[in-house]
Amino acid sequence: MPELDKLHEAVIEGDWKAASAATQAAIAAGVAPLTIVGGYLVPAMDEVGRRFDCEEYYVPEMLLSARAMKAAMEIVRPLLAATGAEPVGRVVIGTVKGDLHDIGKNLVASMLEGGGFEVIDLGADVAPERFVEAAAARHAGLVALSALLTVTMGSMKTTIDAFQAAGLREKVKIMVGGAPLTRQYADAIGADGYTDSAGGAVALARRLVAA
Amino acid sequence: MRLKLISCEVLFREMCDACAHSPHQVDLEFLPKGLHDLGGKPMAAKIQEAVDRTPEGVYEAILLGYGLCGNGLDGLTARHTRLVLPRAHDCIALLMGSPERYQAYCEQNPGAYYRSTGWLERGKGLQQLTHDTIGFDQPLESMIRKYGEDNGRYLYEEMTRYRSQYGKLTFIETGLEAGGGFIAEAAAEARECGWIFERLPGDLAWLRRLVDGDWAESEFVVAGPGQRIAASYDSGVVKVEA
Repeated sequence: MPELDKLHEAVIEGDWKAASAATQAAIAAGVAPLTIVGGYLVPAMDEVGRRFDCEEYYVPEMLLSARAMKAAMEIVRPLLAATGAEPVGRVVIGTVKGDLHDIGKNLVASMLEGGGFEVIDLGADVAPERFVEAAAARHAGLVALSALLTVTMGSMKTTIDAFQAAGLREKVKIMVGGAPLTRQYADAIGADGYTDSAGGAVALARRLVAA
Repeated sequence: MRLKLISCEVLFREMCDACAHSPHQVDLEFLPKGLHDLGGKPMAAKIQEAVDRTPEGVYEAILLGYGLCGNGLDGLTARHTRLVLPRAHDCIALLMGSPERYQAYCEQNPGAYYRSTGWLERGKGLQQLTHDTIGFDQPLESMIRKYGEDNGRYLYEEMTRYRSQYGKLTFIETGLEAGGGFIAEAAAEARECGWIFERLPGDLAWLRRLVDGDWAESEFVVAGPGQRIAASYDSGVVKVEA
């Protein structure tokens, strides 16, 4: 369907107006909301992630694609909710305590939303207990922690420890990311997953909720 | 001792002062502050180049005027001459004089932006050397030029929003300010942003111990020939690997 091809292209090109218009047209033509998400938005964001990984896209291009994807989701989300369709998973995301950097976290949040997850974004400088409370209250199976500074990375461990102390560690999978992180560090603090790119975060999140 | 100091230019005044007072002969080499913006691996590669062009058999040690700097020192390897690096997260910790003081200050002030003489006179932006396609710290006009009116404004907002969460500008005062110009400039910047302005007394003793050859294990890592400096992700900040 031409509308849907346009939607795919608009997301990759970061054209939110075209994405919005193509989504409206597809809905009007009777395309199922799930098809729009699973068949077009998810693959388009996967392609954006791939381009980022091979340095064809940088952060601004990704942000624009995410904006286009969100414009489509604005239209599709209420329709999806009406069908009672369950998201792929529910994820609580935030930048850890002491760290105000949010660009990477926002990108991952967008990529996850584009990947079919329900995203509960707690913002930046989030205290460990807020992660625990939100995950418990919203029945999130996945928690995603971000940090940009080596000096705040320690808050990731404190946050994971808070889940342990609250008796919720077995109920959630915790993934971590951010420029100074390494897989080695993620393993050392007992995270369930680590990835070094926003695109990789979606694949990782899917693996973690399926596990 | 004859020592070689390879340092980030952000510490230019402090290092020059420390070297002038050192009992040792210290040869200085400053590298651009913008290396920080390249990311951990490319930054480490540039510093490794500076280490590698240091002649063999001339120096007792190569001193590194850095901290871990976002993993920008991770993986650095000592060749023929040992490397000495403070166990600091970054230059702000060095200017504050101890990792404990820095950690405590960060925890109490997550929304603090830091300034020092180097941060004022050596370029304020973080983006000296990065490829312009990455787009951080670009003014609104250049974002609009590149991405169009609507998307340019959106990107500018998205990429600068974190700044709106900062509430304080902390100027670390070391006594090397040479006149009131630096403090006035930092105060004006705080005023412009609507942030609280704080003058925090710095402490250069740690940095001086680096160039004085006073390298206690608790404050410095020393990597011998063939050994590698690595992030330790604990209170020691960095460690040595074989």
